[in-house]
Order: sequence, then C-alpha cells, then structure tokens
Amino acid sequence: MDIKKAVNGIWALTLHSLKGLLLSRKVVITFLVTLFVVAVMGYAGAQDVDALYAGTNLMDVLILFFFMPVMAMIFGSSLIRDEIDNKSITHVATSPLDRAFAYVGYYLPLALAVSVSMILITTAGFLSFFVQQGVTAAAVEVYLELTALVVIGAFAYSSLFLAASVWFKKPVFFGLFYAFIWEGFIGSIPGQIQKASIKHYLRSIGSEWIDHGDISEFDASSAGGSAAVIVVLAVFLLILGACVFREKELS
Amino acid sequence: MSGGRTPAVDAVIVAEALGKWYGEVIGLNNFSLDVKHGVTGVVGPNGSGKSTFFKLVLGLIKPNTGDITVLGQKPWCNPGLHSEIGFCPDYESLPSDSTGREFLSLIGHLHAMEGAALRKRIDEAAKLVVMSHALDRKTGGYSKGMKQRMKIAGALIHDPQLLILDEPLSGTDPIVRKELIDLTRSLYRDHGHDVVVSSHVLFEIERMTHDVALMYKGRTVASGDISEIRALIDKHPHNIIIEGEDISILAKALLDQPYTVSVAFNHERDGMTVQVSRPDDFFSELPAIVGETGGSVTSMYSLDDNLEAIFKYLVGR
Repeated sequence: MDIKKAVNGIWALTLHSLKGLLLSRKVVITFLVTLFVVAVMGYAGAQDVDALYAGTNLMDVLILFFFMPVMAMIFGSSLIRDEIDNKSITHVATSPLDRAFAYVGYYLPLALAVSVSMILITTAGFLSFFVQQGVTAAAVEVYLELTALVVIGAFAYSSLFLAASVWFKKPVFFGLFYAFIWEGFIGSIPGQIQKASIKHYLRSIGSEWIDHGDISEFDASSAGGSAAVIVVLAVFLLILGACVFREKELS
Repeated sequence: MSGGRTPAVDAVIVAEALGKWYGEVIGLNNFSLDVKHGVTGVVGPNGSGKSTFFKLVLGLIKPNTGDITVLGQKPWCNPGLHSEIGFCPDYESLPSDSTGREFLSLIGHLHAMEGAALRKRIDEAAKLVVMSHALDRKTGGYSKGMKQRMKIAGALIHDPQLLILDEPLSGTDPIVRKELIDLTRSLYRDHGHDVVVSSHVLFEIERMTHDVALMYKGRTVASGDISEIRALIDKHPHNIIIEGEDISILAKALLDQPYTVSVAFNHERDGMTVQVSRPDDFFSELPAIVGETGGSVTSMYSLDDNLEAIFKYLVGR
C-alpha cells in the first residue's frame, strides 16, 4: 500500500472513530465532569479571593492534573480494547491498511476527542470562575496557556492509554492505577521519582508559561526540555503500541 | 462457469499440517486442506475449528505448526493480501450507530477506494445483496437477515477474488436462507468469486456446493465430493429447531410430510424440534410450506449434538 492510500485509510478510520468517541455515551461523562467543574469553580468564583492566584490554582489542580489523565483514561483505555472484545476490529484487521497505520487512525481521533472534551471542561471552568471575578487580559492569558497544556497533555496521555489498551486485557485497571495512584501520588512526592510522570513535565512547561498560582513557582527543568521529553515519550509509546497492535493475534 | 476471472494460482488455499492451540485448548490439529477455485463448503459442529481455520486464512492469528498459503501468499502480517479477500464473520460486527452506506463507505476507504468509484461500488454491492432499500438506515435496526446481507456486501465491496463466509445462514429464517444460498451460488457462477462458506448444517452447504470439507475436533475428517458420504448421513434422523410465531399450523403441516419423524414443542410454544429422516427434502420444501401455512419463522438451526453424532459415526467412534 502506498503512502497516499495509507493516509486515506488513516483519515477514514480517524473520522469513523472520532464520530464514535464524540457521539458515544462518553459524552455524558464529559457533560457530568463539566457540570462538576462549573459547580466547584463557580462556587470558588463567588468568594473573596485573589482572582488570578486562586483561579489559576483551581484550573491547574482540578482540570490539568486531575481530570486530564482521568478523561484520557476513560476515552483511551477502551477504544481499541472494546473493538477487540466485541470483534468489530475485524473490519479493520482484514483490510489492506497495515495495522501500524490503523493504530495511528485510532490515536489521532482519541487525542482529538480528549482535547475537545478537555477544552470544553477548561472553558466552562474558566468562565464560571472569572465571569464573577472579572475576565481580564491576564486571566485570558492564563486560560490560553492552560488550554495549550491541556492539548499537549491530551496527546501525551492518549498515547499512553491507547498503548495500554492493546497491551492489557483489562486496560482500565492499568488506567485507574496510573491516573489515580501513579500520577496523583508518585508525581507529587519530592525527589527525582516525580520525573517518572507526565504530570511533572506538563507542570514544568506550565511553570515557564504561566505567571500566576503555584504552578509558576514549580522548580523544574526547562520548558523546551520538558516539551521534548513529552514529544519523545508520546512518539515512543505510539510506535510501541503500533508494533504491539501489528503483531497482536486477534482471536 | 465462472464470471470470467482468471485464476492466478491453482489452489486458492493450501493448508499443510496446521496446528493452532490456545493454551491447553486445541483449535486445529495437524489440519491439511487444499481449497480449489469455486465454492467450497466447510462443515463441522461448533468447536470443530472452522473459525480458527478462517482466522488463519485471514492472518488474524498465526499457526503454531504447519504452513498455510492463501492465493499463493502467507497471510500472517500480510495486509496486502486482504485486497484479494472479503470476509463475512459469523458474529455481530456492524457498527450499530452507522447506516449501511456509512459502513460500506468505511470498508471501501480502508480498501483505498474513494470518490465516485466508491459510491458506484456501494450501490452495486447493495444491489447484489438486495439491500439498496436499506442503505441509509442505521444497521442497529436491521433484522438478522439484513445484517447478514450487509456483512456480505462489506465483504464484496472491494471486489475480492476470494470470499470467506463464516456461517452466513446462522439464525436466519427459511426464506432468507434460500435467498442467501442462491446468492452464494451466484457469487461464483455469475461474478467469479471463489467462495469458502462454513456451516454446521451439511444439507445447507450441499445446496451451495458439492465440494465439501468436513471438520471435526480440529481435523479434516473428509473432503471432496459430498455424494459419497451423503448416503451415510441420510440414515441418521436430523433434529432441527424452528422458532417463530403461530407455528402450530406449521407443525401440523410438517407432520403430514413423509420425511417428518416427530415434532416436539418447547415449553413456551414459540419453538419446536422437528426430527426428519430426509433432511434434504425437508430443507427443500420448508420455504413453500411456511408460505402456505402463513406462520412466521424467525429462526431455524440444526442441533449440534445431532451433527456430533454423525461425525462420530463418520470417524468410526
């Protein structure tokens, strides 16, 4: 299969999977998370606080570092695994599209769907807080910087959880462990071990971009270096997952 | 007479001493079979290894021992071969939230088809399986027979040389069965596709082809022309389950037939087990009898234990 045909196949699979992700029952989860974030940040926005400091911290902790990996896990750990389990993967696996390319056709819509959901959640949270506190230029700047981090996180976490969905028969258990225990605990303790989490590198990039809240004081390596680590990690996991998927027996 | 395709290789599928096991479960054991051009039936009870064989043909799994070539190529990790193979699985595989047209469009795009050529081919494939009227309906609302047809259309969309149809008649009513049997025969006769079709009902396969491979416990029990073993099989009464509404009239009509040995209803009286001495006559005449009695048959299937007995008899156990 030549490159043009492979790109056409990836594009067709991307559109099909994107529709499945954005119009499935997972939309309800996005809606419920958005409601929760709006409620929490709306309540906080009604208090007498330093708007930029408190607002940035809330978006940082609640959205970027809690719901970001959780939403990627919800979308990603079931995408290919569900199709393997219900055998609808057959139509892809019996097509002339190399399975490594097909894997990319799952990764792109996953990363896009997670990005769309997280941007929606971030926007709703931002508005519910800053509409009450005042939408200043600095606030909009924080919103745009956090949104960019959310998109970077979506692509990084998606590569991890999609790979998990072809490695493990029950990827949700890995996802729960990683999202809640590894990222939530290991990524927060002092020392070099916290570098073994995606959260560390997102926070490192954020510390150079964002001038408000605790994230601005995060002591870490350079944003460029952290961005490079995230890109290399995402590409490595993408290639690894594609290789595993290509060699996987679909019985 | 085929539809004008030029066979590229002498044998469509060559399996030599294939072995495949899943942990301690043996799927295929020293399985050998040559599939020639035309329609070939693969018959065996559930668990005999039919689906495992098809997965090996499609390169979805790799053999533990032995060799397999399909159209002269090894199927494992060979996606290019899929351009020449169309597969209709025996399980539910249509995306329920997509229309038939969207499903066929996805399959077409995965086969590197696009634009007007793809749209034209979708209409052709839908017409071939008599599904043009339902192309723009969600597949989740299709009947069992419609889903089978749409899966066959998906297998046909890229006009492959070889079609693998895994239990295409499973769970369908007698009228749909007859239509699918006619369709399968025409796929080779009129369109030149080589077809490998599986079933656990020998008599249905016989209506599609006389070139049959019988499988039992992961091995080929017999292969070739079915006529020699058919006489043996006819000696054994055959049990068929029929389910539907208002089938008591159908039961009475069946009891009037000379080949019917007995009819027994289930507890809910929405299904019955019909024992027949001449299955061939039964399958041949059933659609007409259903039409005359006016009942509604929703599904029909053969009891596996009956086939199991036949295979045990054939292998001399």
